Amino acid sequence: MRIAAFDDARIGVIGNDETVVDITDLVQQFDPLGPQDYLPDLISHFDVLRPELESRVAHGGGKALGDVQLHSPLTRPSKIICLMGNYREGTDRPLQILDLFFKSPEGISGPGDTVVLPPHQADIFHHEAELAVVIGREAKNLTEAEAMDAVFGYIVYNDISARGLGRAGINSFLGKSFDTFAAFGPWIVTRDEIPDPQTLHVTVDVNGERRQDYSTSDMERPVHELMTYISSVTTLHPGDVICCGTNHQGLGSVQDGDEMVTSVSEVGSFTLHIRDEHERAWQRGIDREAGERVKAAAQHPVMTPGAGGAAQ
Amino acid sequence: MKIVLTRDERIGIERDGGMVDVSAAFADIRYRGATDRMPRVCAAWHDRRSKVKALAANGPTEAMPELQAPVPRPPKLIAAFGNYREGSQRERQKQDMFLESPDSVIGPGGTVILPNHPASVFHHEAELAVVVGARAKNLPADERALAALIGYTCVIDVSARGLGCIGPSRIGKSFDTFTPLGPAIVTADEIADPQDLRVTLAVNGEPRQDYSTKDMEYSVVELLAFISGYMTLVPGDVIMCGTNHQGLGALQDGDRVEMAIEGIGALAVSVRDPQRREWPRGIDEEMAARQRAVGAA
Repeated sequence: MRIAAFDDARIGVIGNDETVVDITDLVQQFDPLGPQDYLPDLISHFDVLRPELESRVAHGGGKALGDVQLHSPLTRPSKIICLMGNYREGTDRPLQILDLFFKSPEGISGPGDTVVLPPHQADIFHHEAELAVVIGREAKNLTEAEAMDAVFGYIVYNDISARGLGRAGINSFLGKSFDTFAAFGPWIVTRDEIPDPQTLHVTVDVNGERRQDYSTSDMERPVHELMTYISSVTTLHPGDVICCGTNHQGLGSVQDGDEMVTSVSEVGSFTLHIRDEHERAWQRGIDREAGERVKAAAQHPVMTPGAGGAAQ
Repeated sequence: MKIVLTRDERIGIERDGGMVDVSAAFADIRYRGATDRMPRVCAAWHDRRSKVKALAANGPTEAMPELQAPVPRPPKLIAAFGNYREGSQRERQKQDMFLESPDSVIGPGGTVILPNHPASVFHHEAELAVVVGARAKNLPADERALAALIGYTCVIDVSARGLGCIGPSRIGKSFDTFTPLGPAIVTADEIADPQDLRVTLAVNGEPRQDYSTKDMEYSVVELLAFISGYMTLVPGDVIMCGTNHQGLGALQDGDRVEMAIEGIGALAVSVRDPQRREWPRGIDEEMAARQRAVGAA
């Protein structure tokens, strides 16, 4: 099943005839404080709601997808958890230490939205296309066996990233937390429709030019392992999202006026626009230097765990 | 005023060592749990202020009930990287901040549970925390930024060292129970100068951290200006101003930790480690020396 947000805070299910059936009334029965509760409530009560959702979709009467404006179904996730370098990227390196960071959940972007580059003097702004996992229930210390049961579904993610800001050597990842820099779309595909999340194809096209183009089969830590590890650190909630990391081969700049399509096979694709008031210009096309740098760093990791380095 | 949230979800104002229930001032604010309630209370604070004040002045005082964190689950939990000079003469470092899991918060009297992860040590980091009271973006780096605050509180940024792969680990600070917060939000008007507060922390009665917020590299208003230049701040967000690492030490099973900030309050929690690991007790002098050396070259 595909779950979408559309028009003015409506939530719907997409049928096989590419129409979206409005189910907002069904989620409103849970006494939401606002539209930000619709998706977590739908997820929390999904098993109970499912027969009704299916019957509504079978009944039809939805609006054609072309006649609605889709939005990110994740309006304000309680956590956005992002994996650091989680792809092998053609190297034969040993498995890296798993690491993650949290991204600001304010100012989420979605289909048709505009990513606004801030005036900060970044070296460059990159796109990073990723598969993301939407959490289906409150979860802590998941075992391998139950890890996938806590997945609600999958969504396409673009982790817009400003490079070169912040303190040297510690990588705060704050350059990824500007408002509008977390982009999700076009809808959530429920877990049952994607039997194997490690065989999906991820692409980015900027102004029609192919940039990133990789398979999730190259992931170092597969989805179930991410679920287990992350839930051993922090409690996961319905609607939280785990972004599985990107393959840096194929990264490139985003700049004023760009139109970018991010896609994951079996999930979907969506378009973002880029605006930069300062109209800065970077080299277009794939940033091969960035790709090589990531490969080299991963092949010869400099281990600076907190015990030996500055604590900050 | 000092705002507290009781375990049975009443909102109170501290008075004479006890509390006056002022929940009535917020009775019309819909909520589904303490998690979504306190950000809405923070947002409404300025409007309800005189009503709260009247209730606090006239209502009956009760003995201080069991409390939870004044914001049990902040919309965002934001932390400053090393933000104290710590006796060094260095130029101030480039400003930087990061996000921690907001699910790590616990309240006064809570228990920090050390996870079964192979950390080299678990440290306490006593810090001044500010609580946001209004949506804010691009705040100026001066007194005007303080208008976006509801007030101040105490926070212990418990930190597992040696996890993760680049620099200080965000994972290590984001475990559930790793952010004791409280006991009260002291409203901003009661703190004449947030850059002149004494922060202390003791473990089992032994003094560890003891520093002044005068030594901060980037002041509270500079932190607010910086972070709001990246992301929209929303009511209930908590910003941790960083710690002075001189006086850090290990936390381990059975420890009783008490931190205090003058004029703000005292926050006590205990520590449990199901693995019962042991580290040297007392101040971690090696960590302290390492931090003094930062930027010294």
